[in-house]
Amino acid sequence: MGTMTGAERMFTTLHLKEPDRVPVYEGPNRNIRETVLGPGSTAHDAIEHFDLDGVGMDDRSTPVWRGENLDASGLFFKNQWGTINRVTSESLPHPVEGAIKSEKDLDTWQPPDPDDPRRYQFLKEIVKRYKGQRAIIASFQDPFNVANEVRGASNHYMDFVRNPELVDRLSGLIRDYYLRYITNCIEIGADIIHITGDYATTKWPMLSREHFVRHVIPVLKSLVDHARNLGVYATKHTDGNIMPIIDLIIDAGIQGLHPIDPVAGMDLGVVKKQYGDCICLMGNVNCAYTLTWGTIEEVGGEVKRCIQQAAPGGGYILMSSNSIHSAVKPENYVEMIRACREYGQYPISV
Amino acid sequence: MVDLNDIAKSLVDMDISRTEELTRTAIDAGTPATEILDKGLVAAMQVIGERFEKGEIFLPELLMSGEAARAALNLIRPQLIAQQDTESFGGKAAIGTVQGDVHDIGKNILVMMLEANGWEVTDLGVDVSPEDFCNAVRENDFQVLGLSALLTVTMPAQEQTIQALNTAGLRDKIKVAIGGAPVTQSFADQIGADFYAADAAEAVRKFKASIS
Repeated sequence: MGTMTGAERMFTTLHLKEPDRVPVYEGPNRNIRETVLGPGSTAHDAIEHFDLDGVGMDDRSTPVWRGENLDASGLFFKNQWGTINRVTSESLPHPVEGAIKSEKDLDTWQPPDPDDPRRYQFLKEIVKRYKGQRAIIASFQDPFNVANEVRGASNHYMDFVRNPELVDRLSGLIRDYYLRYITNCIEIGADIIHITGDYATTKWPMLSREHFVRHVIPVLKSLVDHARNLGVYATKHTDGNIMPIIDLIIDAGIQGLHPIDPVAGMDLGVVKKQYGDCICLMGNVNCAYTLTWGTIEEVGGEVKRCIQQAAPGGGYILMSSNSIHSAVKPENYVEMIRACREYGQYPISV
Repeated sequence: MVDLNDIAKSLVDMDISRTEELTRTAIDAGTPATEILDKGLVAAMQVIGERFEKGEIFLPELLMSGEAARAALNLIRPQLIAQQDTESFGGKAAIGTVQGDVHDIGKNILVMMLEANGWEVTDLGVDVSPEDFCNAVRENDFQVLGLSALLTVTMPAQEQTIQALNTAGLRDKIKVAIGGAPVTQSFADQIGADFYAADAAEAVRKFKASIS
């Protein structure tokens, strides 16, 4: 047991100060939950059992985001953006066909309604249950990544060269949806806005630095500024090797950065040294290998390394390097939480 | 007479319409399709691939150049097929995303890059079972099979596909390449793949080397 609530722990950490212990809030997937807690256990059971410091919800997990099924099997559906998605083995589906095939389509394309009350039912539930005790995190995709899906990734990338006006027009419409979405989430009680969506591959960023500066970072900044002006924290997720553009992402005003992708060669210690005085680091516990195929001992060692590298002085939230996906072993997730509690007590002595 | 260097330059400059225009002019002037391919398109795509591997250009530029190359290839393909000059082609390959995985952008970029380098490529799509990969190899004369997996949970399907090729007696018939974000060289070594590539540009180099 610590001396702080989970919420206090998270906020102190995001303020780059030392809390009582390193926070952790990533919940288990359904398989892990039911393995550890039994069939029929709920997400709330897991939150309480693992005493997670935060509770998250994602825009894509709501029924209104999912939209109508396109076949009897339910394998394909059209989501709120008009993109055709396919259900996968993971918690999030995969886009297979975009809604905007030409610029003319954009003339009649309508973004979804950010005020649809069905969108916020689960958020209201977790605020009612956990506000003040655990941090409330509202996640959604970066407009750059939504645009990739809406336009089709190949077309969207080529638009940066052949039709940058279309890039800005589309991302502007998506940004406007999320500005309103952020406002609604904060009014309900969200403490942290977490913007997901990758900017890089394992090798380097998907776009040139110039394209990020002109088209992507200003949109990110507008969302971050809006959230911070309304008094909440803003964090950003992106896989991949973002070192060539990490300064741009941080200058957009985010207060936390996830996951410092080890598969892409990102070094948690190096990033802590270079940017630890201005941003909270989140993640780096390898879920591509250690959490999936590693032993419990290896997981404990990985957690210890992450804490050693990033926790001293505060400003580190323990998380996986992407997500607790379906291949993460239940015993490894349990060990990740346990080891965080063992090694993460402040002052850090590992 | 069209200077084939101009076709290469227009492709590197990502000018699709100019690449098409120059290619048409070259065809009309009687320039052999094989020369347009080798000195115009493949030469340019090698420059593009090198720049991408060095981080001098990124996905938008790579895809735009690929589109320019594809447009030109569509114009010269009938002549290449009519000549049945198989040495003109880079090789024959099949690419697919493995069973349980529906990610396709990396696969699509690789297909585009290989085609732009003169390869004849069959895109097997996504969520391809080991059995379907085996059937494709059995029924065609592919030289290289590319297996893409973007999720840790689907990487085992790359191994299962190689095992299926072994069981079916097809493994010696084809080179097998693997790729995808969580995939590594050590994993490729572990499962008996012939090679691994971190991105499409590296893959094109290794595909070519594997059949030479």
